[in-house]
Amino acid sequence: MSFPSINVLIQVIVIGLLTGGVYAVMVSGLTLIFGVMKIINIAHAAFMVLSAYFAYWLFSGFGIDPILSMVAIVPVFFLIGKVTQHRILAPVGDDPGLLVLLTFALAITLEGVLGSISGSTFRTVRTGYTSSIVPVQLGSDLTLRLPVVRLTGFVASFVVLGVLWLMLNRSSLGRAIRATIQNSEAAQLVGVNISRVRSTTFGIGLASVAIGGALFSLIFSFNGSSHVEWISKMLAIIVLGGLGSLPGALIAALILGVAEAVSAVTMTTYISPIVFYLILFLTLILRPQGLMGAKVREG
Amino acid sequence: MGRFVKRYWMFLALAVLLVYPLLYRAPYYHVLGFNTLLVATAATGWNILGGYTGYKSLGHSAFFGINAYLVAIAANKLGWDPLWSAPLLALVVASVALVLGWIMARAKGSAFVIATIAMLLIFRLLALNLKSVTGGAPGLSQPLAPWSPELSRMPFYYYMLFWLVVALLVSRYIRRSRFGLGLLAIRDDEGKANMVGVNTTLSKVLAFSASAYFIALGGGIWSYAQTHIAPIFAFNILNDVDTVLATMLGGLGTVWGPVLGAFILIPAADYILFKFGASQFHLAVFGVLMVAIILFLPRGILPSLRDRLAARRETSSAFAGARSMEEISDDRAADQLEVGEPYPP
Repeated sequence: MSFPSINVLIQVIVIGLLTGGVYAVMVSGLTLIFGVMKIINIAHAAFMVLSAYFAYWLFSGFGIDPILSMVAIVPVFFLIGKVTQHRILAPVGDDPGLLVLLTFALAITLEGVLGSISGSTFRTVRTGYTSSIVPVQLGSDLTLRLPVVRLTGFVASFVVLGVLWLMLNRSSLGRAIRATIQNSEAAQLVGVNISRVRSTTFGIGLASVAIGGALFSLIFSFNGSSHVEWISKMLAIIVLGGLGSLPGALIAALILGVAEAVSAVTMTTYISPIVFYLILFLTLILRPQGLMGAKVREG
Repeated sequence: MGRFVKRYWMFLALAVLLVYPLLYRAPYYHVLGFNTLLVATAATGWNILGGYTGYKSLGHSAFFGINAYLVAIAANKLGWDPLWSAPLLALVVASVALVLGWIMARAKGSAFVIATIAMLLIFRLLALNLKSVTGGAPGLSQPLAPWSPELSRMPFYYYMLFWLVVALLVSRYIRRSRFGLGLLAIRDDEGKANMVGVNTTLSKVLAFSASAYFIALGGGIWSYAQTHIAPIFAFNILNDVDTVLATMLGGLGTVWGPVLGAFILIPAADYILFKFGASQFHLAVFGVLMVAIILFLPRGILPSLRDRLAARRETSSAFAGARSMEEISDDRAADQLEVGEPYPP
């Protein structure tokens, strides 16, 4: 353990907040899916890596910037999500253990396919602005150095979360989704088409992780097996935030982004992921409802 | 003849397994046999928790890894012979699992599955980073087995076979005991089981620990057979995948299902590896297989076969509706407990 100077610490915390914003968009779909159908989609990170590969291929093949390629990837992922839920998840019923295994099976299928196509080389999208930095002067001896890609990710995340929030709170589909989260049987009684809400939610969940994946490809390097490490981070975030709660996920993402960045400079980057696992483990055991969610021990 | 087979098929199967390494003498067959028995033992153990209580853990290979390291460290530092230290140290691991199980039994459903994955990842990270104890990423070596290399894995094969038989006897004993009936009741309806007097927490913790024992035991023997272990192989979620897939393929919650599943799955996986080489494609095939089993054969081979046989018997026999005790305890064990009679009588 070594403690950095206060200036370095401020710099690290700000970077952590920016990263946390990107984490928020990665997990927003995961927590929404849990809220509506009580499924923990273990394949979420694998779908994110898939989207990152699409962004990478479009960039290296056609020179399309990941921010632009989202336009093409998002509708595809929405459709994949709808079909996956309708054809694969819905027929299995509602045994949570079985559903977790099923999404886990989807995850290793994706991992295997991506690994066979692309090998184990780590990829990342290196655009012209990848290594540019925006300096922000804060007082005489404190200049924050903000990487452009993380800033972009942070801004894009808030756009996505804003759209999701509007969709949930200002549209009739959003009302149906919220009703299903609160009480699916009652929602069905008043005429909500539950099975359609479920498949649409899964589609929206994957569409949001497609955006997360495009941003991810700009900031991090990945290969087919990266999803294992990322799904554990995602789970830590949504469990801490309270499963099913979007605002909770945002707060937890920022907290964990900062915690990870700070532990990376005070301990080592090798051991810093343990922060996620410990928070995940302890939250599940001590406060299963997380920061802002309902109790999930029965989940 | 048919009746003879029906009655003594277990001993026939055991006899086949005993002569197999003598008939197929190439080391390849011994390795394949050993791996199959290893997964069969681990799956039999996993089934005690995942099959009987329905708590599906994806992190039990943490115990596999822990004992693999304990056995290697004990062999290096204290000179303990792994053949007896593996089952002994597995007891230590099982007591650790008792504590961990007590903590984790508070989570249910998906929360439980996530907690088990987190547990595995924490131990893996520790194995990678506590370099003075575990040797870090490169791993640990331990002395080779003393017998001649010509015997290859044969002694390991027979040793593993012995422990598979033990695991099966324990699993069958639990399945037929009152404790096992309580576990099945938890699977069916935990709240109800609690109400009729099953100590659900204690039962879950004991099942958690019992299944950890056989997985840890397998890890210890595997460690000796490998002579060199590294965190990425010792703490690998794919070890859980093998175990879970074998159990589900054969029949979740049946005594023989996990063994049957392992004897189909591991040779098949080996064939896929041999045929297509690259391990990544092998992963995709496993994933698709797992999806297919969950979608089309959610109860596994044995229960589906039993249903089919029962349906056939019903049409041809006057004793339609007669069922074995095991079948009866299959459905709604919680309902039976309400009667309040000890089972078995």
